[in-house]
Amino acid sequence: MTPALALRAVTKQYGTLTAVDSFSLEVARGTIFALLGPNGAGKTTIIRILTTLLRPTAGTALVEGLDVQREGKQVRQLIGVVPQENNLDRYLTCRENLVMQARLHGMRPAETARRIDELLDLVGLTGRQHDFPDTFSGGMQRRLVVARALVHHPKVLFLDEPTTGLDPQSRRAVWEYIESLKDSMTIFLTTHYMDEADSLCDRIVIMDHGRALVDGTAAQLKERMSRAHIYELQFRGGADRYEELLRSLPFIRSLQRTGETFRLCLSGEESLKPLMDAIGTGDIRKICLQEPSLEDVFIELTGREVRE
Amino acid sequence: MVKGAFSIWKRDMLVLRRSLFSELVAVVASPLTFYLAFGFGLRGYIADVEGVPYTVFMAPGLITMTAVSAAFDESAWSMWFHRKVQRTIEAYRVTPITVFDIVIGKIFSGFTQGALKGVAVATVIFLLTGVRFNPAHLAGYLAFIAFGSMVFSCAGTVCGTLLDKPETIGKVQAVVIMPLIFLSGVFFPVSSYPEALRSAVMVVPTTALFEGSRRALLAGSFDVQFLAILAVTALVAFVATVVIFNRKMAE
Repeated sequence: MTPALALRAVTKQYGTLTAVDSFSLEVARGTIFALLGPNGAGKTTIIRILTTLLRPTAGTALVEGLDVQREGKQVRQLIGVVPQENNLDRYLTCRENLVMQARLHGMRPAETARRIDELLDLVGLTGRQHDFPDTFSGGMQRRLVVARALVHHPKVLFLDEPTTGLDPQSRRAVWEYIESLKDSMTIFLTTHYMDEADSLCDRIVIMDHGRALVDGTAAQLKERMSRAHIYELQFRGGADRYEELLRSLPFIRSLQRTGETFRLCLSGEESLKPLMDAIGTGDIRKICLQEPSLEDVFIELTGREVRE
Repeated sequence: MVKGAFSIWKRDMLVLRRSLFSELVAVVASPLTFYLAFGFGLRGYIADVEGVPYTVFMAPGLITMTAVSAAFDESAWSMWFHRKVQRTIEAYRVTPITVFDIVIGKIFSGFTQGALKGVAVATVIFLLTGVRFNPAHLAGYLAFIAFGSMVFSCAGTVCGTLLDKPETIGKVQAVVIMPLIFLSGVFFPVSSYPEALRSAVMVVPTTALFEGSRRALLAGSFDVQFLAILAVTALVAFVATVVIFNRKMAE
């Protein structure tokens, strides 16, 4: 069966910078797929290539078997796009924004009216359909952008960080819409929120520096870390002194500190005894083994440095 | 291709309709001020120009100036706003329409706004000042306005496409557009230029626009050479704008 999305050795260069480096990927139809990575990893570049906004420097990108470069117009008939930043038309009302989208997709007026009523109901904006988006909260604007991307019944929906900047209630509302769409289309999303990818997605790829690092379900990715020996360690005091000591120990692979509490990853279970010998037991308030989270996998693979 | 361009044009007209009254008041204020200040304030100091009172001489140029300035402003600011601020151009680009639809829709929106605002100023000048023209001259005059608005709409679209900072668009208006308009015969005939300069000025498209449209409206003379210069400029500007926009979008 033709995959919904296929990238074959896609490279995108901006001058000397390689944003995407010979990236290959296939996404099966009906999947909720997440592409994770730190800022500048190349996620948005990949979405822009797949949505025909950018031409790759090399390689081939296909949507439902159609080449994004040679058959761009047909590709755009099949896709819905929710960009990172809301790009609603603030001079058109909520309903007019949706009508405009339908017109650009060549939909007939009768079909348009029915579809828009249905979508406004789905995203809970029926009562505000004649208001301008500027008067909406961030969550309502985001819901409208999602509705706009769905007007023409796309086969593939691209969501670029769909819940960034939303409060927890709005995030959950957007998640619910995404989940409700699962059976009717393929969903490709990028996100910084590990819990979002963990709870929503059938398949996750973590990428960095333009390349894929790992590929699998959330459970499979966490399984990679199951032998990582992550411990939470809390001290009664002297955390600064202990931080210095912990950082000097060669068998600690990663270390995160929150106040007096440390989250550390040991290179193996044989490292536990040397750790206890090094720090002693006098100042320890709590030590416990932690289940690895998707965030641990992400940090382990992409490092801790803050990206520009 | 036409359907997408028409949808964009229709959207722009819907937005214009919502603020039509305030837009027209704003657009009429400036040429009317020029008309009153120069036409009446200097009436005692300026004799007839090319055989007609100065107020009559000036009126066609002011109407033309309003139309083409509005075409430039609308195209430049609309394109810049939709590209840089609202990012609606990107929203259009992930639909099945082409970049040609977008640029053509925007050019025609600027053109329509120019034409509407020119008509508004003409109506006000006719109503308030008693300046009268032979209705038979109107067709020739409108031909010049149509090509002129197209040229300025294309110029505005190019500015809105290429310039990222709004202040740069303001500078282009101050340094290029206004001098081109003012020095091309809105307030004085090009025969006032020194002999050596005149032949060069005569082939500038804005001279063809202002001088040609005035002659068409006041004397009913249809200067084919002027119209040809303007038509060729409009065609070249249209093709260049489409190519420039297409290239910019491919970046």
